[in-house]
Amino acid sequence: MNRALFRAMFKQHRKKIAVISTGIVLYEGLLTWVYPVIAENPAVTEIAVSLPTAVKTVFGVPENARTDTFEAFISGQFFARIWVMLMAVYGIQTANNLLAKMVDDCSIALLLSTPISRSEILSTQAAVLIFLGGILVTVTILGLFFGASRSGITICHDRYVRLGLLGFSFFSLIEIYSLFFSVWFVEEERALTYAAGLTLIFYCLDIVGGLSNKYSWLKKVSLFQLFQPQEVLEGSKNPAGSIVGLNLVSMILWQWAKRVFESQDLAI
Amino acid sequence: MIEVKELSKLYREGRGIKKISFEVNQGKAFGFLGPNGAGKTTTIRLLMGFLRPDSGQVTINGLDCWEQKTEVKKLVSYLPGELHFVESLTALEFLSLIAGMHRNRFQIKKNQKYLINALDLDSKILIRKMSKGMKQKLGLIAALMLDAKVLILDEPTSGLDPLMQRVFIDLILEEKKRGKTIFMSSHQFPEIERTCEQVGIIREGKLLAIKSILQLREAEYQTFQIEVESDEDLELLKESQLNLIPLQGRSCIIRVAGELDSLWMALGQVQVVRFKQHSLELEEAFLDFYK
Repeated sequence: MNRALFRAMFKQHRKKIAVISTGIVLYEGLLTWVYPVIAENPAVTEIAVSLPTAVKTVFGVPENARTDTFEAFISGQFFARIWVMLMAVYGIQTANNLLAKMVDDCSIALLLSTPISRSEILSTQAAVLIFLGGILVTVTILGLFFGASRSGITICHDRYVRLGLLGFSFFSLIEIYSLFFSVWFVEEERALTYAAGLTLIFYCLDIVGGLSNKYSWLKKVSLFQLFQPQEVLEGSKNPAGSIVGLNLVSMILWQWAKRVFESQDLAI
Repeated sequence: MIEVKELSKLYREGRGIKKISFEVNQGKAFGFLGPNGAGKTTTIRLLMGFLRPDSGQVTINGLDCWEQKTEVKKLVSYLPGELHFVESLTALEFLSLIAGMHRNRFQIKKNQKYLINALDLDSKILIRKMSKGMKQKLGLIAALMLDAKVLILDEPTSGLDPLMQRVFIDLILEEKKRGKTIFMSSHQFPEIERTCEQVGIIREGKLLAIKSILQLREAEYQTFQIEVESDEDLELLKESQLNLIPLQGRSCIIRVAGELDSLWMALGQVQVVRFKQHSLELEEAFLDFYK
């Protein structure tokens, strides 16, 4: 990894990270502020219990999960869908900006004219990508701790840290396969289409698989099956296996991406 | 220093270069001239290890430009034809980035200061707010500050005003004095003429000729637009052995290769009303090769 390149790339993306982080913290602040009011109203719990399975699926609430806890509330309102989509879009777009866009507009030419190997440049770009994703995950978890403590909500911090680690691994994989498509196509539009398309397919499989028992097998082939925030927050699922699996796939894809990039023709 | 042997690279649409061979010795400057789409940039991309050759070999200082591309970059400074930077950085931050990606940072920073002054660049401006000319200056500084043994420059003066073109030529001549090997592509004959000893002429992916600048000067065409007093004078000029293209009225274009004695002899016999020398155009200089 090259430090000078890391600093320059980080500088390029830090404003975007600051804006997203602020948005996440404010939204979490809002949710933790309104939760005590909602929790005191029994009618809300009744509505949540009476929701049809299909609606629960769309909002990322597992069928056998409770609906009257803060964990259920924060999962449904934030972690299961909004956070996932926000982080996925961020990861896909940033991976594209860090490689395919730079090849497309030839701004990588001057970087590749230095005695730093292609692998090292790619490693640096990936490090920036993962590091920025890590900042967003950390801010999300710390923002929630702060919001919960301010509103007097009791939470199990360990479980949120575990969710953070799972989220980090999950989003890192999305970022790495987006980077892989950038390396493979070395063309901004195609890389973006394939990365976004694959993520959308996984997302749709997760939704459709939850709508009916007939299609429940579709959930098993979706990447999103590995990210079930409510189960992790309620302690009914240990995410260690998923974290190891996600990181393993990321490592394999990463090694493959380096090999592809080393031998890629770059018309820059 | 630079050796290209039977080098071919064809893109899917059929463009590219075909079996190009040339050599550039250490301390010499080689100009690469040709129209748009001739294959100049493709050749440079192969020299920089951005593309893998279909066949043939390209080496710098004995190192294969594709197989040993990282090693080659230790010897080479590069200025791309189309300049694109990390736009959110200032000029100084960008130069620090490039310096940080090389060894010998202290010397690079020293050279950087000298070049920023020589090219009169405001280094604190954000790159995205720079004009094309300023970006070109920044690219030149990034290439020259490295003090590399080999300079590969793709149309280095495009975007520079005439004054800065002159400063650039002086800088290149300075680099040559210090023993640098230079490979430079251009559309502009005058800058090649002033900086290079040898010129390669490329068209449609084929290297048509490699000539020394001296040889080219002998063969170069010069073009004159002449208006004479009477129709008889015009007839007299037509009867001479000159290469003449009649225009409207009593005007004509005369093209002369090499010495101008024959032109002066013919003009001595007529009354000239107007005499205008056209600036030497690349196409005129290399018309024979372009036919």
